[in-house]
Amino acid sequence: MTRNDPRVPAITALVASTLGLVFSSYSTFDYTAHLDRQIHAIHCSFIPGASASSDLENPCRAAMYSPYSAILRDKLWGGVPISLFGMGAFAFFVGFSLYLLLVGPRATRMAQWFFAATSVTPLLASIVMFFISLLRLGAFCKLCVGIYVSSVGLAVAGVLVARAALAEQKAEAQGAPPARARGSAVHPVAWLAALGAAALLPATAYASSVPDYRPYLASCGKLAVATEPHNALVKIATKRPVQPVTMFVDPLCPTCKALHERLVGEGVFEQLDVQASLFPLDNECNWMLDRPLHAGACVLAKAVLCGGPRSREVLEWAYSKQEELRIVGKTGNAPLKAAVVKQFGAELGTCMETRATQLRLNQHLQYAVANHVPVSTPQVFLGEKRLCDEDTDLGLRYTLGQLAPEVLP
Amino acid sequence: MRPVAPTVIDPQPGAPAPAQNVRRAPEGPGGPPPQASKGTPPGPAIVGIAVGALLAAGLSLGVRSSVHAAGVRLASPAVVAEKQAVAIADHAEAPYCTPAFKTVLQRVLNSCGLVGGDSARRGCQPADVKTFASISDADFNALFTPLKDRGAVIMFDEGSEKLDDEAKKLLEDKWQERKGARYFFVVARASKTGSPDNNRALSHKRANSVMFDLNEQFHDPDLDKQVGLLWLGNEFAQLGRDYCDWPSSRPGKTCNAEAINRSAFVSWVDCRL
Repeated sequence: MTRNDPRVPAITALVASTLGLVFSSYSTFDYTAHLDRQIHAIHCSFIPGASASSDLENPCRAAMYSPYSAILRDKLWGGVPISLFGMGAFAFFVGFSLYLLLVGPRATRMAQWFFAATSVTPLLASIVMFFISLLRLGAFCKLCVGIYVSSVGLAVAGVLVARAALAEQKAEAQGAPPARARGSAVHPVAWLAALGAAALLPATAYASSVPDYRPYLASCGKLAVATEPHNALVKIATKRPVQPVTMFVDPLCPTCKALHERLVGEGVFEQLDVQASLFPLDNECNWMLDRPLHAGACVLAKAVLCGGPRSREVLEWAYSKQEELRIVGKTGNAPLKAAVVKQFGAELGTCMETRATQLRLNQHLQYAVANHVPVSTPQVFLGEKRLCDEDTDLGLRYTLGQLAPEVLP
Repeated sequence: MRPVAPTVIDPQPGAPAPAQNVRRAPEGPGGPPPQASKGTPPGPAIVGIAVGALLAAGLSLGVRSSVHAAGVRLASPAVVAEKQAVAIADHAEAPYCTPAFKTVLQRVLNSCGLVGGDSARRGCQPADVKTFASISDADFNALFTPLKDRGAVIMFDEGSEKLDDEAKKLLEDKWQERKGARYFFVVARASKTGSPDNNRALSHKRANSVMFDLNEQFHDPDLDKQVGLLWLGNEFAQLGRDYCDWPSSRPGKTCNAEAINRSAFVSWVDCRL
């Protein structure tokens, strides 16, 4: 097979669309597995068939929980994952590229141009998702990258087909006999309809079978003690607070960071009247652990407490520098405190050292005990109702829409 | 004259063209090339349609089945049981929280007004302690031995219930070292000097002094639910001279069996009760 072999674009398209189908199927089935509201291992590898990962902090999980992984999130719990559309579209392109491969040079000009035009549609979607991953998520999930690469492959095949068609048309314009039949103009319409149907079919099957989640939404308990008796909790400033929310958070917890980013990304955070109860998963101050899960979290929790009106700024700084601070935290408290002082000044550093701050942090932890919250972060209470963990990620928008629609933009 | 454009109706995945629909363009000089006039057989289109349709339909069925399975798991009791296995925030449980220790503490809590809604009652006097503890003086004191470093002995002048500055500072320090504890115990005593009635009253005042100081310093609205007061007078569980080695508000000062009992032992207790 040579470079100019007319089968090259079709084979390229077949391989690319098959890979795209495999990657988008993994992504889809990982998503559907989570519809039971449990945490499952998810696939996150460039190698199709590689074992799934239980790591809670891998980029594929972050992408799955992000607001960008699904549409209609406020209508259906978890929304409709966009990978479903990719899966259907790639299935169509597998069929069409197989057709192009088998029909070879007898494919019509219409078929050529239809393929050339539509083969870039997965790439356009991939470009959008690429920039979302880059700019919003700050990480690339390998399955997503697999889909991006497949989309590029498919688009390359489309370009090759278009180039061949142009060359043939140019030759024909110079008097050469037509290389192939033009084909009926009806066919592209039919193919386009078939592409649309293929893209929509899995999503329709999915949406029509999603269970009713409403009975589960308020099933995770409530605050036993609504008000912290010492007024020790931290008020997080927002622009239009309309719904009281109590959040148990750890500044070094990646899931807390992801939730914060989701709430901000969904445009919800500014409508929340947030009081934060710091719950560092670090046994230096938290007796509920026998070893530090997030070393240095107690130091940063004190920094947030001492932030006063800047508490949100301190917390968001800790989230934004989380990876770096987690590394520093493992080396000891002093360098971590130095990083805080460098960012927010010596006065805040002095405050962190006081007995009053230590006592206040302890009151936060005792508040967690009084409310019997699970020893994991984040924990979110909408008013007094506890949001189940799964309703703070995949089901966030749907749950808010059901329990507090006023916070949705 | 330019030849008529070929009007071959090509097969496609959505609608394969039957062979009879292919109209051939005229052949001859200037006509279409042979390959363009051959038409396309239906086979590739059928294969393309079949593969595309089967994939789309099969995957859709797979998705539906996977969603249904998730719904079944969602409703199954196994999932609920798994969820309940998560650790819940709770108070600390130190190694010294032996069953015997917790039994006595629980009786203190029940009998001395901390739990059970008997808010009118604050603390326990010697007769109560003797009754509910049901153990000897030595065994009672031994229960508190593991708290040596967690707590401290607040010392008083003879016949006085007044806290000096050192006592206040030590008390505040100890109060602020709460960590994961739920209850703060104050066990006040009086020395053998004087009558049992007077000493009972004096130890009661000493316990109250501790309580008042905590209230004054910290304004903690939960104080009543956290502080257990016991006053033993000179009738029960007197401390021996060896307790002079314990952390106290008067380190380095003369300490004897009389002085060590003019005191209130204070400590957070890291037990779940």
